[in-house]
Amino acid sequence: MNIEQSLQKAEQLLASWNKEATHPETNRLDASIAADDLRPAVTALHDAHWGYLSAITGLDLGPDSGQMEALYHFCCGAAITTLRIRLPRTNDATLPTIEDIIPPATFFERELHEMLGFKIAGAKSNERLFISDDWPEDVYPLRSDFSIEQAKPVEGRHADELPDQGVVGGNTFVIPIGPQHPALKEPGHFEFTVDGEIVTAARMRLGYAHRGIEKAAESRNWIQNLYLFERICGICSHTHAMAYSMGVEKLAQVEVPARAQAIRELVAGLERVHSHLLWLGVAAHEAGFDTLFMYSWRDRETVMNLLEQLTGNRVNYSANVLGGVKCDVGLEQANAIKDGLNYLETRIRHYLEVVTTDTMFLNRTRGIGTISYDEAEEFGLLGPTARASGLVRDIRVEAPYGAYGRFPVSSVTETNGDLEARCVVRLKELLVSCFTMRTIIDNLPEGPLTVRMPRKIPAGETISRVEAPRGELFYYIKSNGGENPARVHIRTPSLCNWVSVLEKAVGRQLADVPMLIAGMDPCFSCNDRLVTTVSHTRSGHTGDGKSGERKTWTWKELREHGIEYYNR
Amino acid sequence: MNILTSLISSLIFPAGLTLIVVGMLYEWVDRKLVARFQNRVGPRWFQPFADVVKLFAKEQITPGIVNPILFFGLPIVAISGALTAALYVPLIGMAPVHSFPGDLIVTIYLLSLLTMCTGLAGWNTSSRFSLIGATRTLTQLFAYEAPFLLALLGPALAAGSWQIGMINAFASDHLIALSQPVGFIVALIGLMGKLELPPFDAPEAETEIVAGALTEYSGRGLAMFKIGKSIELIVGITLVSAFYLGGLHGVLPFLAKTLAVLFLMTILQTLLTRLRIDQTVGLWWRFGAILVLAQILFTILLKGYLL
Repeated sequence: MNIEQSLQKAEQLLASWNKEATHPETNRLDASIAADDLRPAVTALHDAHWGYLSAITGLDLGPDSGQMEALYHFCCGAAITTLRIRLPRTNDATLPTIEDIIPPATFFERELHEMLGFKIAGAKSNERLFISDDWPEDVYPLRSDFSIEQAKPVEGRHADELPDQGVVGGNTFVIPIGPQHPALKEPGHFEFTVDGEIVTAARMRLGYAHRGIEKAAESRNWIQNLYLFERICGICSHTHAMAYSMGVEKLAQVEVPARAQAIRELVAGLERVHSHLLWLGVAAHEAGFDTLFMYSWRDRETVMNLLEQLTGNRVNYSANVLGGVKCDVGLEQANAIKDGLNYLETRIRHYLEVVTTDTMFLNRTRGIGTISYDEAEEFGLLGPTARASGLVRDIRVEAPYGAYGRFPVSSVTETNGDLEARCVVRLKELLVSCFTMRTIIDNLPEGPLTVRMPRKIPAGETISRVEAPRGELFYYIKSNGGENPARVHIRTPSLCNWVSVLEKAVGRQLADVPMLIAGMDPCFSCNDRLVTTVSHTRSGHTGDGKSGERKTWTWKELREHGIEYYNR
Repeated sequence: MNILTSLISSLIFPAGLTLIVVGMLYEWVDRKLVARFQNRVGPRWFQPFADVVKLFAKEQITPGIVNPILFFGLPIVAISGALTAALYVPLIGMAPVHSFPGDLIVTIYLLSLLTMCTGLAGWNTSSRFSLIGATRTLTQLFAYEAPFLLALLGPALAAGSWQIGMINAFASDHLIALSQPVGFIVALIGLMGKLELPPFDAPEAETEIVAGALTEYSGRGLAMFKIGKSIELIVGITLVSAFYLGGLHGVLPFLAKTLAVLFLMTILQTLLTRLRIDQTVGLWWRFGAILVLAQILFTILLKGYLL
């Protein structure tokens, strides 16, 4: 089915509720529907297996228009259908929940509620997922008239009000994993109720690393934002920058030179190698196989050095600029990359052998956390986690972008859906990446690296999707024609994959839980980019109970406070 | 005079202080070798000492809801158990400080005291990580204890004595590792279980339950448990190499044989992935216990009919 047929089919499916349909871009259908028609419309798309719910974007159109919008983005291959619901801009704007139709929607809906103040009717849980618990009621950070003065912490509440249930009764008690725990290198909070060693319930809480990047983007210009978005994630920084710049280039209708696109794909490939090797180490460590951890991280240094040689940076490469790339691949770099890839390929083959033959490691991965194809589809899984269950979710293949049309990759899938399959998928994917990167280096198109970009981007909205190492990365970018974006909404792959952990942990042994968490390769900093959090450490909590007043502490003051605190 | 020599031999040389020092040096060898196998640099030779000195200098935090007698008493019991066990084994290749018929059983149970204390300590602090860790420690104890005991019984049966000194003397003429290979392997792996070394480190799997039973311990208490572990390491290795590797007589054979055992253990630590607690129990009862029982039966038959 090509894009046009897909969109036609979607239009037919939605015909009875569709008030107004437009095609803002060739691969997009924008259907305005009423809030009451949302559930039947979503059911129609879902029952017809028309793609999957990729993200829900909330838009505040400002006090002047007095309206808010919720956009439900469904993706099927390269085709995107957006259900657009317009509601009055009040705290009573209510949307019906769709979490019973599409389970992962619960994360998107909670985000919509906490950030923009849509009420979700019929949602199972009203607990806060992202915003801290001392955030005042009815203050929504992504509303256009939000000001930081409104965000005074509620007195008498803590940022994290998770009730510590301790021993629930009998042999059942709650094991907290996080926000600070040796298993997690980033903050997230999980509560696993265990009966002896068996997990009987799972809960989670995110938002410990909120940095308010979406909000911050609205007050920075297009170029500054590139560097801001690059810092969303320390592991897949390039894909964030690439998704953003591709979106902005689409809005500005600028064609990026072929050489720049190829280099973007090359850096993305190197980044995938570094990300998956890092993941392999973490997974091995969670399983208690530290030798594999040490070796895979040693070999990861090779690709880190290559990235540094190519771009000058090891973590936030800033290879992209709007309209192209900053770094060129010369003969020296090309040879270094080829040598590095040769070495890495032998190592990756070796690790592939280890994870499929080492009996002790297989004890911890084979048949554990098995997700069937149907479940993967139902949970809305993305990236390697979905591909391990045989579900092809790979934007590089489904909707080739940039240079992926010219230098295609093949999608690697496995059918078992257990932790072993997720190891195998990731490692095999690296072999494919290595092959593609060689092809790119050998056939690098000649030409300039950048084209000129306008400072002001024409008004419009676009969707930019990129395959990050963890899965589909979704950017919604809206411009009002100014120097700053009007709204950028980002949905990272980790957010969609959480369901796999929460659903699969129940009934398993506690010892398998860290492996299950690691199995989806979670990235907390990606999840938690959403809101301006005025945290306790930044606000002036002096320990004497006066939580009302706030100030920003300098490093010196903080240090003196620390010394004074211990002298008391 | 007799009392004085007895005191010196129990407290300073070869047991007591010397033992602690040697134990920590062996701990260093273990850490360093594993680090080198894993392509890391590893600690310097004085790291275990530095760790202990630092811990002794640190504040000991007492959780609010513990039984203080148990909380402070358990590390002392644990370390004294390990130190006492050392009196009955041929340390540094010398004759055991004390010896009586049946001291093998006493030694094995004194060695288990440390594990019991760790379990109790975890239960006492009632932190959830400690509780799970304590449960796992004790579950694991029941898994490896019987096979380990049986594995040490094999050489005892062959020697016809339950006295460590006698078995050591008997072993000097017979390389029991060759005649009872299964027993040797079970003893070696059982020792790793006893010491909670990988792959039997589920009781302190940091990715699940932080530091297991000892999560709430800090300062002196933790230091004493750590010293106890080092002593158990050296005592356990001494026992296994005395029984299976041709006895321990003299400093050089002692070093050669114990370090060889330690080397084997580090290789296994490097190669193996942590077992879940149910897998550990399954491994011991399904394979370890049955194999070593067969071995013992074989030894008894051999001894009864052929010798």
